[in-house]
Amino acid sequence: MFVILVYDVNQKRVAKVLKKCRQYLHWVQNSVLEGEISEANYKKLKMDIEKIIRQDEDSVIFYTLRTTKYSSREIVGLQKSSNENIL
Amino acid sequence: MKKTIYIFSDGELHRKDNTLFFETESGRRFIPVEDTGEIMVFGEVQFNKKFLEFLSQKEIILHYFSHYGYYMGTFYPREHLNSGYMILRQCEHYLDELRRLTIAREFVRGAGKNIRQVLKYYHSRGKELGQPLETAEKLIATIDDHDSITALMAVEGNIRDHYYHAFDIIINDKDFTFQERSRRPPKNYLNTLISFGNSLMYSICLSEIYKTHLDPRIGYLHATNFRRFTLNLDISEIFKPIIIDRLIFSLIGKKMITKNDFDRDTEGISLKEKAKKCFVEELDNKLKTTINHREIGRSVSYRRLIRLELYKLEKHLMGEKPYTPFIARW
Repeated sequence: MFVILVYDVNQKRVAKVLKKCRQYLHWVQNSVLEGEISEANYKKLKMDIEKIIRQDEDSVIFYTLRTTKYSSREIVGLQKSSNENIL
Repeated sequence: MKKTIYIFSDGELHRKDNTLFFETESGRRFIPVEDTGEIMVFGEVQFNKKFLEFLSQKEIILHYFSHYGYYMGTFYPREHLNSGYMILRQCEHYLDELRRLTIAREFVRGAGKNIRQVLKYYHSRGKELGQPLETAEKLIATIDDHDSITALMAVEGNIRDHYYHAFDIIINDKDFTFQERSRRPPKNYLNTLISFGNSLMYSICLSEIYKTHLDPRIGYLHATNFRRFTLNLDISEIFKPIIIDRLIFSLIGKKMITKNDFDRDTEGISLKEKAKKCFVEELDNKLKTTINHREIGRSVSYRRLIRLELYKLEKHLMGEKPYTPFIARW
């Protein structure tokens, strides 16, 4: 499954959330990550994030797509990072 | 499915924030560990023990290739699927000449029939391949008559020989003629491509073996020795024609690789970096493509096909179901 994750958390916890997300997803731009993820890892990531954030202050949104077949991705302006697997 | 990371640039690999981090002069990139299955290193890359520890922990295999693109070795993390039972079964089948032959025969049959399939495909596309096709058929029919490993290897070699000579008819490009199979170093463009592709195939099969209980040191067609992994060579034989060779045909056919993509070194010929990248990219795409698997009734990727082959072998070794190789139907 494909996930787009966006977060808006208190500055104190931004680094923590980012570090956790980087283990699973590709960084796209500030507060946005995306990538292919397995069902199990998705749950794991969600649980880990729940442990980091404060329920009454922070917000993290997961957009999940079963396949990327019908989605398209267009960038206007700068491409901040590539997620090629050939470096 | 977990991704393969191919590294061509020079730089440093680190463990950082519990994930992978690749730093070069021109840029830095985080790579999600949880989404990484293996790393293939072509460039000059530095890393430390801490990094290797991390790879072991995450069960990520790291293959490295020389400047010329030859397979050099693998960082093989600690076995995580330890199965004394499976090793004993593997040895049992290796030590018993008859049982070893049964398995080796199937590998040769698989390789031969997949070669025939490739030839058939191009024959139906109007290439004059009647002659090699006939010889291949004849040779495949003799597989059961031989009862020594060396004789089997000879049959396999013969089939391959005729097959490689048919490459000239299939490719039909004067820049890429086959002449004869030359290795270490390859002496012409086509041989260079074949060698590069085969190296990649061996390492991919090894990665898949790591995910099963099988021990890559015990092969059946290729004799087990003191130096190298051999089971991955056996499995590769089956998939080389349908994955690597077809890829080469399409790369040359679409002019994605031309004679300008090669470097002539002191002795042999090697691929330029751009061409290596192109090859690897197309191979990665190919491994991801899915086909409909008739037996299990759902679509599987080429990569998964290799793993299924290993599972079949495990079943054979445990005496559950005799092993039959995968034969392409297209």
